[in-house]
Amino acid sequence: MASHFCYGCLLRLRQMPRVYSMLPGPLVTAPFHTTPPRPANPMARKSRSLEGPPKYRESKSARMRKRKPVERSRPPAVGERKALRKRIVLSNTNALEVPGMQDLSEETMLDSRLRGSVVGLPLPMLNQLLAVQAFKPTQGWSIFRRPGTVLRRETLEMGRLVNRIGEEKGKVFKKIITGVRGSGKSVYLLQAMAMGFLKNWIVVTVPEPQDLVIAHTAYGTLPGSNPVQYVQNAATAALLSRTAIANKEVLSGLHISQNHEGLKSLLQPNMTLEDLARLGVQTPSIAWPVFQALWAELAATEAAGNADIGKPFKPRPPMLVTVDGLSHWMTNSRYRSAEYEPIHAHDLVFVNHFLSLLQPTTSKPTLPNGGLLLYATSASNNPTIYSFDIALKQIIASQNGIDPSSPDFPRLDPYAKIDERVLNLFNNHARSTETGEFEVRSLGGLTTDEARGLLEHFACSGLLREKVTEELVGEKWSLAGGGIIGEMERIARRLRAIV
Amino acid sequence: METLKTQQKSLESFFGIGQHTSARLLGRFHIHPTAKVGDLANKQVLDLTAALSGMKIENDLRRQVLDDIKRLRDTGTYRGRRHAVGLPVRGQNTRSQIKTAVKLNRVDRRL
Repeated sequence: MASHFCYGCLLRLRQMPRVYSMLPGPLVTAPFHTTPPRPANPMARKSRSLEGPPKYRESKSARMRKRKPVERSRPPAVGERKALRKRIVLSNTNALEVPGMQDLSEETMLDSRLRGSVVGLPLPMLNQLLAVQAFKPTQGWSIFRRPGTVLRRETLEMGRLVNRIGEEKGKVFKKIITGVRGSGKSVYLLQAMAMGFLKNWIVVTVPEPQDLVIAHTAYGTLPGSNPVQYVQNAATAALLSRTAIANKEVLSGLHISQNHEGLKSLLQPNMTLEDLARLGVQTPSIAWPVFQALWAELAATEAAGNADIGKPFKPRPPMLVTVDGLSHWMTNSRYRSAEYEPIHAHDLVFVNHFLSLLQPTTSKPTLPNGGLLLYATSASNNPTIYSFDIALKQIIASQNGIDPSSPDFPRLDPYAKIDERVLNLFNNHARSTETGEFEVRSLGGLTTDEARGLLEHFACSGLLREKVTEELVGEKWSLAGGGIIGEMERIARRLRAIV
Repeated sequence: METLKTQQKSLESFFGIGQHTSARLLGRFHIHPTAKVGDLANKQVLDLTAALSGMKIENDLRRQVLDDIKRLRDTGTYRGRRHAVGLPVRGQNTRSQIKTAVKLNRVDRRL
């Protein structure tokens, strides 16, 4: 069949001079695509494979090439790789300074007009936050000029709560923070710590609960305990060290006011609480009694007897206790008893102390001077523990007003393996209908307004080179699973590479 | 024992202590598996030494194994005779693949 085209005519077509503009025009990209920005080079040589028919004078058998001996340099020194992995970088000099960024302060943490904007963490506080290990290496602090966090709805709520605890003496709130991966649970704890430091509270943190149960620190029996309980002196000393460094200012202003029988020979009159904590850091073998003494001091409401000779009793500030990754504590630990039985995490006194704070107490208040307990779960490093999951579900159900006798109330699977100790821990919460003090709080995604604030912060830092429009915000918000902040961050920092 | 080696590894360097025994020994004296030898408290070291001295390990165990083989040989049992001729003891075929038996099965077995 003849072609419709007349080649002669085509040849006579006027050839247009080809002009390539040196200046790139406005780059038109579809808002959402999966095509790579640059196509593959068609001229690139295809890799030689053994497939296909044999070529002329070429065998099809695999050829063995002699491998060149690889030059091996010395491996990095012991601990160097881990140090690199755990390194926390809080500043990037290549990122732009964000103009007009406010610092977190006692005013800004309550200011609902600032909702959705990124507020910086005060620079003098960074050392304290580093001391309590508030930052995690997986969080993207290293891409900005200085660390800052979004003031989201939950943060402002917490700000008000912190303020209320400061005003009403002895008020305690207990919260378990849950949420999907990247929803900002750890940063929520960090914001709480920052607020605690602003208000001159005592901040006690357990940044890695997993470390206490994977049998990587020393343990021993607690003398005189029946059933046997176990102390972890090295871990307790580390906790005391964190607390002493971060709360140096507050602790050095408070003095011993109670009688501590076990430590009598080591204590001097007029000793500050900071010195008391340092005692445990220097001598890990007495770290646990020292921690108990410190806790008793911080929970004291008045001096006992004449223990405060010389220095008058000063009222103790409220406390903030945070634990990041609760579910590791809800199962057997990797430690073994003398009979080679696995030790339940609740038998470790360190763990037991922090879990007992969650319990609703009728006779003695948990924290007599008031405070906030924030226990977060983790979604990325999370053992599946049926009893803990169902206990949380039951608490959430009773929080939502579902009666325990109604069919909608989550029931235990009769065939599942149940850990009674875990269920008993939360039983009182799940069955009680009154809420307020204790709460399971689920963190979700940001609202679009808050997402816009976050993206604007990226744009102002020079990380996002697009105009932050309604369309862009909506698109990124949806791509991030409805404003999951960790995903938003990943998307926003990836845009830098594409555009 | 090297101070940097973990306690578990050092225990397993003894003849007669494997993973099973070392894990139980560590549990008995409340030593965590990643503990280094240098980190142990004095009391733990003493307890461990006392426990090890009560166990049949190293030369005692070697001697016992040799004595057992010798006893089999002296009583003239089949197993003893097979040890003496250096052939498989537990009824394996001998048509091929008996290198290990030839190497190991002797009355004065190397341990």
